[in-house]
Order: sequence, then C-alpha cells, then structure tokens
Amino acid sequence: MTALAASRMVCHECDLVVDIPELAVNDKAYCPRCSYLLASNRPNAFSKMFAYSVAALIFLALANAFPFLSLNASGHEQSVTLPESVAVLFNEDHVLLSAIVFATIIGVPAVLLLGIVYVSIAIRLPQGLPGTRRALRWSLNLIPWSMAEIFLIGILVSFIKIVSLANVALGMSFWAYVAFTVFLILVLINIDRREVWRRVQAVRNG
Amino acid sequence: MDEFHECSARANDVQGCPMCTLVGPAGSTYCGSCGAHKHDGWDDSLQKTWAWLVTSILLYLPANMLPIMYTSFLGKTTESTILGGIVTLWEHGSYPIAAVIFIASVLVPLGKIIVLVWLCISVQRGYTGAHRHKTLLYRATELVGRWSMIDVFVVGILVALIQLGSIMNILPGSAALAFAAMVVTTMLAAIAFDPRLIWVSEHTESENKEPPE
Repeated sequence: MTALAASRMVCHECDLVVDIPELAVNDKAYCPRCSYLLASNRPNAFSKMFAYSVAALIFLALANAFPFLSLNASGHEQSVTLPESVAVLFNEDHVLLSAIVFATIIGVPAVLLLGIVYVSIAIRLPQGLPGTRRALRWSLNLIPWSMAEIFLIGILVSFIKIVSLANVALGMSFWAYVAFTVFLILVLINIDRREVWRRVQAVRNG
Repeated sequence: MDEFHECSARANDVQGCPMCTLVGPAGSTYCGSCGAHKHDGWDDSLQKTWAWLVTSILLYLPANMLPIMYTSFLGKTTESTILGGIVTLWEHGSYPIAAVIFIASVLVPLGKIIVLVWLCISVQRGYTGAHRHKTLLYRATELVGRWSMIDVFVVGILVALIQLGSIMNILPGSAALAFAAMVVTTMLAAIAFDPRLIWVSEHTESENKEPPE
C-alpha cells in the first residue's frame, strides 16, 4: 500500500484547477469549490479492480448458463434462463426493446469488465498492450449504461406482481447474477480515474 | 462571483480532460494523453442537451399514455398503462412497491426533465448564484435517472415468465419501448450537459461585452 503522488487536475464538474496533494492510503480529495470527489487512494485498488472483474465475469457466465427463474401455475411449470428471457422479447417482435434489455443487463457490463481486465493486464506488463487507452476510454464511458443493480430491483418488483398469480422460484443463475452485481459494484468503487490513467500513461512512456 | 473564479481552468487558458483528468492547453480537440475527444465546445453542450431533452419530452407522452403491457387471461385480453399498473398495485395493498414504481417511473423522469430544462435556461440566461445547489441537483439527476429503467425490466421479466399458452400470456405494449427510449434520451441529455457551464455563466457574460445582434 503506497501513497499516491501529487498532481494537478481540473475539476470535471466546476472547471477549477486543483493541486491534489500526495494521498495516503484511504485518503480522498474533494474539489474545494463544488465538493466533487476528484481522487481517492483505496488500498490495493488495482489488484481489487482486476480480481473483482474476473470474479464478476465468471459469475456473469454462470448467470447465463442455468435456470434463472421458474414459475409454477396450475400444474404448468416453466423455467427460463437469462438469455431465453431476452429471446422471448426478441421473438415477440420487440427487437429494439430486447436489444436495450440485453445491452444494459449483460452486454454493456461484460464489455466494460473485459475492458478493465485488459487494462489491468496491460499496466502489469512492461511493454503494455495495444489499444489500452481505447479499452479504458470505452470501459469508463460505458459505466452509466450498465444496469445490473436496477435489474435486480426489477426482479423483486416483478416477483411481488406475480406472487398472487403463481409460485415463482429463484434459480441457480439468479444467485450467480446477484454475486455478479456485487462484484461489478466493487470494481466500479475501486476505479480511480486519475490513478488508472497515470498507470496507463506510465506503461506507454516506459 | 465566487472566491475561486480566478482559479478556473478557463480563466487560466488551460483545459482539463474529463476522461483522464490531465491538464492540457485550452483549445485542443483531442486529449494528448488519453486520446479522448474533449468537449471544449461549451455552447455545443447546451444544444445537444436541448435536443435530447426535447426528444425525451416527446417520448414521455406515448410512454405514459399507451399500454405498457397486455395481459391475456383465459382468452380475455386487458391492457395496462404505467399509471394503471401503479393504481392496481395500490388497490391490492402493495403500497411500498406502488410507491417505488411511482417514484421511479413517474416522478424521476419528470423531475429529471424539469431540472435539466431549468439548468439549461439558467445557463443561457446567465443566472448566477446557487452554483453549489445547481451542481448538486445535476449530480442527483445523473445518479437517479438510470433507476427509471425498473419498469422496463419488470415488463421484460413478466413477458419472459408468463407464457402459459392458452391460460395466461403477457405481451409488451408499445409504451415499453417509448419508455425505455425516454430513459435513454434523458440519460444522454444529462451526459451532454456540461456541469462546468453552471460555474462559468458569469464570466461568459463579462467576456461577451459586445452587444448581442
């Protein structure tokens, strides 16, 4: 665990030029004018970012492989996997809607996490990897479009809506998706823009 | 005018990169260190925000007026709108869920559109003051806006699960897509809005000394 070197940056929210002092572990730097979080030094942020991304990707794969939810109503039993539930929308001619759902709950988080894994590997190699900057830009820009946690609340709400009609059971993949969401949030918490870009920069110049 | 005015990047002819946070000279289109496209076009930001806002306001109407899903039970098909669904939940006694859906699907999108319209107008008219509050409001819209997608996911899950042949079926209505598109466009509007504009409105005024045409 090391302190982060000082640097000058411009607040993204209010355009103030701020000189960030050296940050000890667990220190955070806020903008003095608009109190935006500018930089933070979380312990072992880079190892965590890498490890949690890999864990999240594994759980996402599991979340796609097994039954997600199952329904039991008057003798009919039916279970769907996550890809199947998107496919139902697709097959009902709601192509655009299914694309939005697929992107926000599977596609975007997967690309985002793959980008973070790629960048994490690149900054550990002395020679770097091609396209690291592009991968990082993509991952960071995708963050608002990943909606795993919102999907989980959506499942909860649908449950309450269905519960009077039929018995609904949670499948294996549901729990995998919960774990995936937790790891995804942990990845996002541990990304510090300033430091990630400094590391990427260091590899490129080194 | 606040005490930090002299220290803004704009006043010092430098520019921070919103992507990698590095400080570079003002006026460059691409960041020298991370290659990101810098949005130094301050006026561009307002125009884009307005465009997305108008789109989302137009989508707000069909999203609330058209049916969001069709439920067919033993051959009888009923349609429900977003508001209708909330009323049904309320009547069934699911008050907390009705409240969650009401906040996420009705209040949040409406509040978000109102806040962004107000921020755009206040920047354009050069209203000063309350910078901190405006910034906080902006951050809140950015943070909360995504949660409106709950309703779209609920429809998706219900449609996927309830396909019981002749007994019961649920199909998505056209409001589902309109609503999803409305959430996406309000998010794009929030991303397009440059929060730095809230803080520079005063010295854009003093810089543009020449009378408007």
